[in-house]
Amino acid sequence: MFYIYSLAALACAAALIFAVPLRAKNRAALAIVLAGAIPAVVMAARALTGTAATTLWAFEGLLGPDGGSMDALSALFVLLIAIGGVAATLYAHGYLAHTLRRKSPAHVALHYTALVTMFYAMLGVVVSDGGYSFLFFWELMTVASFLLILYDAERREVLRAALSYLIMMHIGFLLLVVGFARLAAETGSASFDALTLCARSARGALPLLLVFIAGFGMKAGMFPMHVWLPEAHPAAPSHVSALMSGVMIKTGVYGILRVLQAGAFDPGDAETLRTAGFVLLAAGAATGLWGAILAAAQNDVKRILAYSSIENIGIVLLGIGVAALGRSSGNQTMALCGLAGALLHTLNHSLFKSLLFFGAGNILSQTRTTSLDALGGLGKHMPLTAILFLTASAAICALPPLNGFVSELLVYLGLFDGIASGSDPLAAAAGIAALALIGGIVLLAFAKLYATVFLGAPRTHEVAEAAEVDNLRIAAMSLPLAGILFIGLFPATAAGIAARAAAWVLRLPAEAVDLRLSPTLGAVGRTAWLLVAVALLLAWLRRRTLARRTVRTGPTWGCGFTAPNVRMQYTGESFSEGLESIATPLTQNRIDGRAVEKGEIFPASHNFDIRRKDRIDRLFSAWWVELLRLINQRAMRLRTGKINHYLLFALAFLLLIPLLSLLNLL
Amino acid sequence: MTALNILLLLLTAAAIPGLINRTRARLAGRKGIRFLQHLYDVRLQLRKGAVYPATASALFRAAPSVYLAAAIVAALFVPAGDLRPLLAFDGDLVAFAYTLALGRFALVLAAMDTGSPFEGMGASREALYGALVEPALLLAAATLALLTGYDSFAAIFAGDAAGGIQHTIVMLLTAFVLMKVVFTESGRVPVDDPRTHLELTMIHEVMCLDYGGVDMAMIKIAGWLKTAALSLLAADVAAAPLGGSWWIAAPLAVLLTGLSVGVVESTQARNKLVRNTTFILTVAAMSALVFFMAFLLRTNVVMQ
Repeated sequence: MFYIYSLAALACAAALIFAVPLRAKNRAALAIVLAGAIPAVVMAARALTGTAATTLWAFEGLLGPDGGSMDALSALFVLLIAIGGVAATLYAHGYLAHTLRRKSPAHVALHYTALVTMFYAMLGVVVSDGGYSFLFFWELMTVASFLLILYDAERREVLRAALSYLIMMHIGFLLLVVGFARLAAETGSASFDALTLCARSARGALPLLLVFIAGFGMKAGMFPMHVWLPEAHPAAPSHVSALMSGVMIKTGVYGILRVLQAGAFDPGDAETLRTAGFVLLAAGAATGLWGAILAAAQNDVKRILAYSSIENIGIVLLGIGVAALGRSSGNQTMALCGLAGALLHTLNHSLFKSLLFFGAGNILSQTRTTSLDALGGLGKHMPLTAILFLTASAAICALPPLNGFVSELLVYLGLFDGIASGSDPLAAAAGIAALALIGGIVLLAFAKLYATVFLGAPRTHEVAEAAEVDNLRIAAMSLPLAGILFIGLFPATAAGIAARAAAWVLRLPAEAVDLRLSPTLGAVGRTAWLLVAVALLLAWLRRRTLARRTVRTGPTWGCGFTAPNVRMQYTGESFSEGLESIATPLTQNRIDGRAVEKGEIFPASHNFDIRRKDRIDRLFSAWWVELLRLINQRAMRLRTGKINHYLLFALAFLLLIPLLSLLNLL
Repeated sequence: MTALNILLLLLTAAAIPGLINRTRARLAGRKGIRFLQHLYDVRLQLRKGAVYPATASALFRAAPSVYLAAAIVAALFVPAGDLRPLLAFDGDLVAFAYTLALGRFALVLAAMDTGSPFEGMGASREALYGALVEPALLLAAATLALLTGYDSFAAIFAGDAAGGIQHTIVMLLTAFVLMKVVFTESGRVPVDDPRTHLELTMIHEVMCLDYGGVDMAMIKIAGWLKTAALSLLAADVAAAPLGGSWWIAAPLAVLLTGLSVGVVESTQARNKLVRNTTFILTVAAMSALVFFMAFLLRTNVVMQ
């Protein structure tokens, strides 16, 4: 009955969106999203301050008892979904405005219905206790996001990306179904809590945990299952990219945390936890490095952002790995710091990545391109977008005094604690080296992105004529910005909440948080304010000094060359040229045209375009697509079109069944 | 004590460029400029106006303030020997590295804001070398954490270092790695040559081509502070086996960086730019190796 009610409610929402006039569809969707977001946030706040879980629904389902409840872990993700969902719906109004003429009202209504469905499905995912209702919402989420990507379905690459997304998601779904079915078979219940029973059984929960981690990793974009992500994000409209990258992939992280919480953060089973910790640490480092290097090598705004999502998932997984290792060796501080860092980074990433994708949407809607080589100098034409984008870029590079720094510092703290206390020095040092390299390369990638898009001089005249976007979109972008600044400048409050949720997940006493993390977080906050104060003071002093002097503008120093033009500016490709020797083994390059060669003293006009595709992408599509095609070809031989052959097949089947049952194979 | 620490930091920052110049002059058989000539130069620059490129936006004007602020705050993390720095908390070694990265980010963006291809080259190189040197710095910090059991500079250098010849060797090796980081981060030979005349081959200098006057002075001061902070760190590590008092560490910082940079710049040529990546990755690898040595040492100690 529960599903029927859910679907009926959804049908009502859809009917409302379809019924209202075209201009009001966004407001209707926003109203429906807010109607869910506000009570959800209230409940989440209550769950975060209290400790007991609230039951939302409970009944006897297909795979044993089924229900939904709100606890500290769910509450954190509910907050994230609410912020991301509201901001994306708000942003969609301005972003879709210019497409309303081209699309039919039904098409737009379908899009908004999918958006609303996606929002509620994600809420459902993070409050479900597991089993059938979890899978129901999970699948609903996948289908809704598939529809959302398809907004521009007339473009071939969008269709391709959406289909590849759908296929990959269902491979992940299959793994989850296997996991839950196995769980139900072993314990009689498919809820996450049953994993605890499973962990206490003789066989342990490790194989099941790994199946779940793989299934959820597919959604999260864990290496090497990340290949759908850089294709799907650029294809989707920008607010959908923001919702998918900022919020949806986090449900994969949620799933991993949930299975670990139920099945592994149990003091009795240290060996399982240790193995899971190593797996997650390695997967996190690989995902993060792969994402960072590929992000630096891309030359398209949205592709850089997509790869950076992969990189951030890597950091989150690394944090979870640190927590698992710490918990397994009984090092409370290491576990707490790692998990608090992972949780806070999940929230942080949803904030700055939503903002960055909204910024990419502004760029796309005002200049009609997201290619780095066509942009430039946008900072002067779109100052608000530029400032918002810069803040988010600095935050994603984990620079103080912004939020990314707080969460990465927590993960580092966990790693350093692992070294200082001697519980896992080698693994922790590997984590530190990976995290440091990721940080440096991401800084390069985002310096490249921001500089080629917003700084310098415009490279094309379309860009030179771009204007700032409407205020509603800026308002939608300010929502994540507020979060970025708040967490960065008041880390004690924000990270304290994440740390208490982490303590709950780890089944540690909440006092551990206050004892270990509060002084550090307070000092981090003071440092952030000191940094801001010193910078402002210096800027003010400089301004005062220059006020009494002559300040002129002149041409940029061209080192003696007197006729520079905008095409001579450093491009994105040349900015990341130094990384080429590192990035080349990871990519499959498609080069159109020919670069200027060293020997050409008087270069003629050249056309040069380079696309850096993921090598894993090819690895994936190459072998199993080829295999599917071969199987299909063989199977097609059976389709002869003759009725007598078909009768023969039916007879063979009927004979096969008793034969197999006689041999005891069925 | 904290005030003394800040004072020592400022003195170190002022003395290192002077000693570098003096060393270089003596090795070339010259008498050399005044020891504090660089301070007079900066005073001159602080009296000037400014010319900004027409392409540059407000970011270009704000960047020197951010760069200097980052250098100041980063320097406040570093203790001179056993003194207590102003900013100290668990994990401040990470905060130190990331605050320096904030300065780098600001300067790289400012360079790109001019629209000059030469400054773009410098920015791209600075970003790349900064990315590659970060693991070396943090792995060196990890080695210190492993040897002492703390993850804050103040606690690591607070004294009572366990003796032993192996311990001393690992500390000296870490100091060596940190000195290499000093060379890279402050743009010195063999990574970068601050005295080169050709824009194409510059790294740090080319990024500031369009700055002058007050802005250039701020960038220079930030550079000195950054060099002083990293040198002090290396000197702290080197001085730790000797008891790690501030009156050993601070002069050692000046001598180590001043003499080694002066000698290297007088006797060695800058790397070819393509070799720089290998050079920095080697430093990172060395750092990892030193960590592994420390790990072996520690397990050995525990076993005994």
